[in-house]
Amino acid sequence: MSEPLLRAEHIARSYGRRRVLRDINLAVAPGTLVGIVGENGAGKSTLLRILAGELRPNRGTIARTGALGYCPQMVLLNDTLTVNQHLAYFRAAYDLTDLSYAETLIARLGYQQYRRMPVGALSGGTRQKVNLTLALMHQPGILLLDEPYQGFDWETYLHFWELAEELRAKGRAVLVISHLLFDQQRFDALYRLENGQLTRLPTERAAPHPQTEEV
Amino acid sequence: MSSWSRYATAARFALVEQARNRFALGLLLVFVPIWDGLFAMLISAAPVAFKLQSTGAFLQVNGHDLTVLTSGFNAITLIVAFMIFTVTRRNAAFDRRLALAGLPQPVAIAAKTTAIIVASTLVSLYAALIMEAFWRPESFGAIWLGYLLDALIYGALGLLLGVLVSSELAGFFLIIMVSLMDTLLQAPVENPLANKDFLAAFPTFGPMQVAVSGGFGHGVPGGSILFAVAWFVGFALLGLAIFWRKTRIWRTQAMPSLPAAQPAISHPA
Repeated sequence: MSEPLLRAEHIARSYGRRRVLRDINLAVAPGTLVGIVGENGAGKSTLLRILAGELRPNRGTIARTGALGYCPQMVLLNDTLTVNQHLAYFRAAYDLTDLSYAETLIARLGYQQYRRMPVGALSGGTRQKVNLTLALMHQPGILLLDEPYQGFDWETYLHFWELAEELRAKGRAVLVISHLLFDQQRFDALYRLENGQLTRLPTERAAPHPQTEEV
Repeated sequence: MSSWSRYATAARFALVEQARNRFALGLLLVFVPIWDGLFAMLISAAPVAFKLQSTGAFLQVNGHDLTVLTSGFNAITLIVAFMIFTVTRRNAAFDRRLALAGLPQPVAIAAKTTAIIVASTLVSLYAALIMEAFWRPESFGAIWLGYLLDALIYGALGLLLGVLVSSELAGFFLIIMVSLMDTLLQAPVENPLANKDFLAAFPTFGPMQVAVSGGFGHGVPGGSILFAVAWFVGFALLGLAIFWRKTRIWRTQAMPSLPAAQPAISHPA
């Protein structure tokens, strides 16, 4: 059994007196697609922000290996900058030697014609594609996605699953957090976030990568 | 990429953003000449007393010229603070995303500081040039320096409010109130009490001393420059410290059993 790319142990987080996360334990193995489903207000975004390092848990530890890709729930772009300028900016952030994989992503998502346009002038669907490109362009070891389907059009949705399957095949991992999980058969592991804890749900996928499990 | 080229990229985009703030640029182009021109038309040349802090002496200066100078302070403080505030507040979440992606905080901080310095330099140069249309001071450099110092102070204030105040309207009101209190109280024509000692603690005091002293041919007081720089550094450090806190990423533990780097993967054709 290979080492997980991400391991969270006994994560707890409160906002004032409200305990949002009580005891989260999760290990995400290489080559897996993991889904976490929870109702609105269950603490999904809090959990993802903690896993990404944006928020500090009150208790517990997180260990991660490899680069992180983070696709936030909101499309987080800078409206005044063009697509190309976003690529250059995130190239500097990720410290990449070139943009070859970003070029590949843009070609596959099919929005080359908008590269010189400020992203504020793009349609919602194209902005989602830029958002996804920025999360993937450095070929992360683990990709965290918060409610990824919300703004996807059908075409982007299909591309998303193609890319996710490719990452999986390359031994990377994808963690999706959502209030609705479509295509449950695609996931290697599914959890429900409820009362601040994760419960494993049955999965239909014949699991060639059964390493992801609760710890 | 080297730290330098990462900084160059971040600073370039911080400046691109300022350049694309069309409303602020429009305000700058139209508001400064109109504001200066209105005061130039309305205020007479009757002499006004202005206390020079460096010597303690009262200068008797042309009221018209002094008012044109002070109206420039009023205009640039509002515009620079507005420019930096708008962009800082709007990009709070985007800046955090860049930090999560690995943009080092010192690089982001240096880029923000660069944007303030460059924007202040250009806005103050433009305001000093416009003022020349209404009054030819003894030293153009002193006027520009005075405007630059005040623009820097208000640029840093814009940054501080941008990281501190979440409501755009609240930020604008604060900028307008602070600028009004500060620049109007320093102007002897609008405020007969302008030479009172307690006003020497206000942000625009130093820049005003530099511009009036140099503009009317009495040299540039070094102490006033330092005083203005202290205001700039104070606001900037406070704003950048809050920015640093808000873009802080909690590093996760490294896994000792695995190598830190992932093996490279081949690109799909």
